[in-house]
Amino acid sequence: MTLHHSRTLRTGFVATLRDVVRDKGVLMLLFAAPLFYAFFYPWFFGPEVVTRVPVAVIDQDHSALSRTIQRLALANPRIEVKAVASDERAAQAAMSRGEIEGYLLLPDTLKANVARGMPALVTIVSNGAYPIISKAVQYGLAEAVGAASAGIEIRQREAKGQSPRQASETRTPVDFQAIALFNATEGYGSFIVPAVALLIMHQTLLMGVGMLVATWVEQRAVQASPMVWIGRWLAFLVPGLVSGLFYFGWIFWLYGYPRAGNVAGSLVFLVLYLSAIVTLGSLVGLWCRDRERVLQVILFSTLPLVFLAGFSWPSEALPTALQYLRWLIPTTAGVQAALRLNQMGAPLQSVMPYLGCLFVLTLLAGSLVLKFEGKSPRA
Amino acid sequence: MHHFFDSARREARRLGQSPWDLAMVTWVPLLAVVLVVWMFSSAIPRNLPVGVVDEDHSGLSRQLVRMLDASPGIQVVDEFDSESSAQNALRSVRVYAMVNIPRDFERDIKRGVKTEVTLRHNAQFATHSSLLQRDVRTVVGTLAAGIEVSARTKRGESPQQAKTSFNPIQTQSIALFNGSGNYEKYLTAAVIPAILHILAMTAGAWAVGRELRDKTLGQWLGHEGGRSVAVALLGKLAIPWMTLTGIGTGALWFITAGRGWDIPGHLAWICLALALLMALSLAAGAAVAALTKSLRTALSVTGLLTAPAFAFSGMSFPLSAMPDSARLWATSMPFTHYIRLQTEQLLMGLPARASAATPVAFLLATLGLLALAAWGLVQARNKPSTWGAR
Repeated sequence: MTLHHSRTLRTGFVATLRDVVRDKGVLMLLFAAPLFYAFFYPWFFGPEVVTRVPVAVIDQDHSALSRTIQRLALANPRIEVKAVASDERAAQAAMSRGEIEGYLLLPDTLKANVARGMPALVTIVSNGAYPIISKAVQYGLAEAVGAASAGIEIRQREAKGQSPRQASETRTPVDFQAIALFNATEGYGSFIVPAVALLIMHQTLLMGVGMLVATWVEQRAVQASPMVWIGRWLAFLVPGLVSGLFYFGWIFWLYGYPRAGNVAGSLVFLVLYLSAIVTLGSLVGLWCRDRERVLQVILFSTLPLVFLAGFSWPSEALPTALQYLRWLIPTTAGVQAALRLNQMGAPLQSVMPYLGCLFVLTLLAGSLVLKFEGKSPRA
Repeated sequence: MHHFFDSARREARRLGQSPWDLAMVTWVPLLAVVLVVWMFSSAIPRNLPVGVVDEDHSGLSRQLVRMLDASPGIQVVDEFDSESSAQNALRSVRVYAMVNIPRDFERDIKRGVKTEVTLRHNAQFATHSSLLQRDVRTVVGTLAAGIEVSARTKRGESPQQAKTSFNPIQTQSIALFNGSGNYEKYLTAAVIPAILHILAMTAGAWAVGRELRDKTLGQWLGHEGGRSVAVALLGKLAIPWMTLTGIGTGALWFITAGRGWDIPGHLAWICLALALLMALSLAAGAAVAALTKSLRTALSVTGLLTAPAFAFSGMSFPLSAMPDSARLWATSMPFTHYIRLQTEQLLMGLPARASAATPVAFLLATLGLLALAAWGLVQARNKPSTWGAR
């Protein structure tokens, strides 16, 4: 690189930082917004896991067994038994009003059937319109019934002369154990926030860069040599790195989210991710040519991006064409790589395809910027 | 009345002159809705990649692997011989979960000794991992029940007896209101209004904020009094309200009645609520623009209020599990109430009067916000020095 080149690069870098600091709107997007959203999002998922979902028990049996099941349900942390009644219709009405999210129906034949060795059926009803709540109700009540059922079976076997240990061992020949990896508490916040953080960084940086580039277009000051553009992009990396390190290094720690931490890998990733965003943001700015327009066209894209990034909605469930098209957006590779490096501690080589994707996106967006910047109005 | 039509005509002319502005209230929302429908068109996630560590290599362990692979939600992509390669596959998310079948699996079962199948799942991908837990649990349960019942039948119990004494109390699970677990119903129907909510508030902020930014407020409002300003505002917002409501109700009709989904509640009631949500969002955008006198600030506020509205509406993470202060925010957002009404009518089939409070509240809030916007516009019009903020 010649002296002249390095000077133009520095000119672009310094001038861009100066423009960022002087533009209140850009400053807000690049610094204030990531800071604000870092506390705003986790606020909602405070307790992380869903506990004490209100339910009812409809006891039509009034037996010692049905009371045992009630007691077990009362002790289950997933649910909170709000009422014990005998009328199923009252429970259905309470569910429609949203007072309870499900109920357990113990029919009047329960004890008699169990005593005679006949199949006894209890019913768990939950509100399937809300999947997370429904799951808590189903698991909580099924655990209570399952514990009561196992107790009966072991007593029956003991009555047939098996030892207590033998009886409990042969009850289920194959046990099933599920172990949660990486997000060991299975908290909702620690599942959603580390991925959403990448989306927040993407949207705020994209809008901030786009807004400043569009302002340059308005002021007929956007045209520059490739070296100046590289200087501009390096300058835009600065606020991106500040918020990236703030999230990776501090916010995840503050909220106790999983950080298996491949620190060096995360830094390499961050530079590539932000490069893809700042070049794409410049392209958006050139295209919009109007600083407020950048916000107008980017705001609503947040929602589709969440579902395309492959964390809250399995990418395996997307239509085939979308499974390919989604890689054109930096968040797709960004979320996949960052979760692996930050939350699972994967080695850098296992995220190479994602880093490669971000690199190609940077080259693509960067060359499009250099191709089209000449088409904007001259000073 | 002429203020209304003059203002609407002026807005129509402006939309005609700016392809961008026209796009943002016509084909962009339409395209966004089509994208959402397309995204969720395959309904239920299938064939999530899973790995197996089979330390037993027996007939029974191979049967279990076959049963896993045959389950529609699971695709067994690989078998791993070593623990380190299995861990690598988990860590690099080549598989979302790993099923471990222990040594002596078949022999232990034959001798009546307890054995254990372990599923290690990647809980960082919570949606994937909860689907896989359910499916693998079901397969293992089916295998275990089959073994147990056939062992008892061999000992001379009748199949019915064997089934009963294996599990004295059987549980029947019913998830009401979404029996098929159909994600298309659940997600498509909820995301479409959420995205239109963002676009509608953006459109309201843009329509009013642009007049301020371009210093055309005087040209638009003249010297009329507060009531005429309010009527002119109505005329301005009428076109985006009609296009967005048309796209939204059309899309809801298409994914429900249009595809033969038998709706237990009232579709008309949902459409009314959606039309009012669009009006409320447009009025809110207009009010924020008029009060802040800055198009840019109005758009930032729009982003803050509407972009996270879906995430905090109680559809994904329950309202009851949020801290009190966060729940107060969530229940102050109109989308939270809209989606509750839509769920009550689309899935739960409640009578219309059970959902009556929301449309009434929306109407009152819209009128309040329009009044506020008109007041702000009169203030701004009388102070031309405040125009043109970027």
